[in-house]
Amino acid sequence: MVDSLPQWLLDVLGQDVQFWLGYLTNGKHLNWYASVQYTLAAGVLGALVALVLGTLAATARNSRSAPVRVLGNIYTSVLPGVPDVLFFLFFPLAFEQAVEWVRAQAICSPSDLGSGHWPPCPDANLILGTPEYLILAAVSLGIVYGAFAGNVIAGAMNAVPKGQLEAARAFGMSPLQVMTRIHIRQMWVYALPGLSNVWMLLFKSTSLLSLLQISDIVLWADRLGAPNFSRSAGFVHPDWRWAYYLILLIFYIIITFISEKVFAALTRWAGRGMATAGAV
Amino acid sequence: MPKFLLAAAALALLASTAAAAPVRLATEGAYAPYNFIDEASGKPAGFEIDLGNELCKRAGLECTWQTNDWDSIIPNLVAGNYDAIMAGMSITDERKQTIDFTQNYLPPDPSYYIVRSGTALDFAALSGKNIGVQGGTIQAGYVQETFGGSNTVKSYGTADQALADLNAGNLDVILADASYVNDVVAGSGGAVEKTGPEVKLGNGIGIGLRKSDEELKQKLNATIDEMKKDGSLDALIIKWFPDKAPGPIFAGG
Amino acid sequence: MGALAAIANDIVLLAKPALFNIYFALVSIPTGFVLAVFMALGKASSNPIISRLCRGYIYAFRGSPFFIQLFMFYSLLLSLNLSVWKPLGLDTIVLNPLILGPAVLALNTTAYTANILHGALMTVPRGEVEAARAFGMSRFQQFRTVIWPNVIRLAWPAYTNEVVFMFHATALVYLTLPVIDDQLDLMNKAGTLFEKDYNAFLHYPVAAMYFLVISAAIFFGFGRVYRHLMRHLPRPPAMRFAPRWMR
Repeated sequence: MVDSLPQWLLDVLGQDVQFWLGYLTNGKHLNWYASVQYTLAAGVLGALVALVLGTLAATARNSRSAPVRVLGNIYTSVLPGVPDVLFFLFFPLAFEQAVEWVRAQAICSPSDLGSGHWPPCPDANLILGTPEYLILAAVSLGIVYGAFAGNVIAGAMNAVPKGQLEAARAFGMSPLQVMTRIHIRQMWVYALPGLSNVWMLLFKSTSLLSLLQISDIVLWADRLGAPNFSRSAGFVHPDWRWAYYLILLIFYIIITFISEKVFAALTRWAGRGMATAGAV
Repeated sequence: MPKFLLAAAALALLASTAAAAPVRLATEGAYAPYNFIDEASGKPAGFEIDLGNELCKRAGLECTWQTNDWDSIIPNLVAGNYDAIMAGMSITDERKQTIDFTQNYLPPDPSYYIVRSGTALDFAALSGKNIGVQGGTIQAGYVQETFGGSNTVKSYGTADQALADLNAGNLDVILADASYVNDVVAGSGGAVEKTGPEVKLGNGIGIGLRKSDEELKQKLNATIDEMKKDGSLDALIIKWFPDKAPGPIFAGG
Repeated sequence: MGALAAIANDIVLLAKPALFNIYFALVSIPTGFVLAVFMALGKASSNPIISRLCRGYIYAFRGSPFFIQLFMFYSLLLSLNLSVWKPLGLDTIVLNPLILGPAVLALNTTAYTANILHGALMTVPRGEVEAARAFGMSRFQQFRTVIWPNVIRLAWPAYTNEVVFMFHATALVYLTLPVIDDQLDLMNKAGTLFEKDYNAFLHYPVAAMYFLVISAAIFFGFGRVYRHLMRHLPRPPAMRFAPRWMR
């Protein structure tokens, strides 16, 4: 990396700066920078899942069928009572074991099934790598924060003035049309502040990815900052972890700042033409 | 529910296409010189990576490396996230209840104590000290058993995290494998030093495998045998652990 | 062993670990609350320097994950150990997870709680404050008899949620800090049990049940306090049992 710079620039920079440039662009550091993609991917994918599940849950809570209502209510009120980190560790494991169980019933011989081994036979074994874990991580975040989003969206749907829905019905719209064209469209203005909150919570939870063996920014920060006294492992240095974690902290604060700006713009956009305090 | 099944099917498909894939070797990547992340390339390197690659070449296997935290390295092997562990893992009876091992590729290595330079400890009557270990290692079990009652045992995720605490004075002593200790003491510039008695633990270091992988075990055992006999394993050991020179370690034995 | 017996067994095994989570919460939440009152007043201060500092503190702690805050404070305090804590003889206190864990939890909840209290402070009816001033009350009297009772009533529902979240955050302490001897909290213990028999469907749900039950107890207890706070109203409002999303 540093070698590719022109000689005159190297002369200007001097030995120290050259060394640090080289150190901060070595393979291990490049891995760290690249691992931001996992954090961002898990955040965005998780948010999409949460949005879909939240909308479904809110609709379920307003459903005419009592079992569906109960299901929606259980989802949105029980799941937030469990720490996100617990569900985050539980769901991928549970999902993997459940799929393996289903596969085992189909693939394994009866003698294997009774053997007490897990998985019963090697063919039923699910092989998961980083991409699969990333998807599972995002889905677990989506499920946890989907419950939060469900509460927000249900509240927002109740906040839509009843008169607007009645007017739409009076125009002869079908219930589905009222739902999609008026109810959900109007709901966003009321839901956005709460959804912004949920997004911030969800994104902060992406710091847990390393618990699922995804080599994310937190894992690399720990590995880079940990003291190294072994010459064969590279540059010998004392414990620098706090500095690396400080950078992560600043990274998350910057994302929070950007998110706030984006949601403020979204709120203005969603509220255009509406007489709310948010729309100026 | 259909959604769940669909996702399950998608994952199952992913998994079955990957089933024909190469042998996946897992290492910790934080225990130099056994295994560590090479700074320049950002990839796993060290004695076990060299050895693993050579074993695979000789056995005609295609191998890939991945890193996994130490504390979940056995559960994830059992869960099938990879096929073999080469991470300085000692062969012990307790681990053998869960997983299988090949024959050892490193003879039993003593464990050493490290302290901040100038610390004198009376190991016959150690009390009120903070002793650091990497959680889930043979040293952790030994320290808990030997010093547990009258001292505080602190477990860390990686050996380097324990080292950070020792260096910062939050620990009085660490117990770790001799080769790790030697490497660290040599590179510390006099900050830490070896002390006290050697502790002999474990039955050497082997490759951890699932109990069902008999075929892979036999293949690897045969290749390790071959490398022990022709002296190439000795050469590799001496390359990464200069204190073991001049040998012989396995050759001719 | 039947399923019920296995569950009962896990409930017993996880009882002691649960005490660690409860201890973390019991120490950090009151500490954080007291600090948050000052932080909220600081944010509302007319002194621009104090106000900016408090705003910055609240923004930084709310804007970053608690998981990383724990990591950072531990390694930061560790790096000061030889130069600061050792000479003062404080090293065993400062770096003890049983002290450091609640301390970082308290710093974190201070920020969230201060934000809630500040929001409430901004919505105290202006007329009541003016009336108090017209009575010739001192600033402290105004705060004690008019502003504070309003603030706490307005803030209580949101604060209840914050307390539940804080209790959940205790699950992260021992995933981050070194574990001393066999002091395992709910998450560690569930993880250790899982590594023995790979039964994810048993150990994690039982740990989750502990969190659910304690969360419900918090909602119940705080709901009773809310009823007490609102006793002047003809019909005290019922506290919604379900956790809200606000944080």
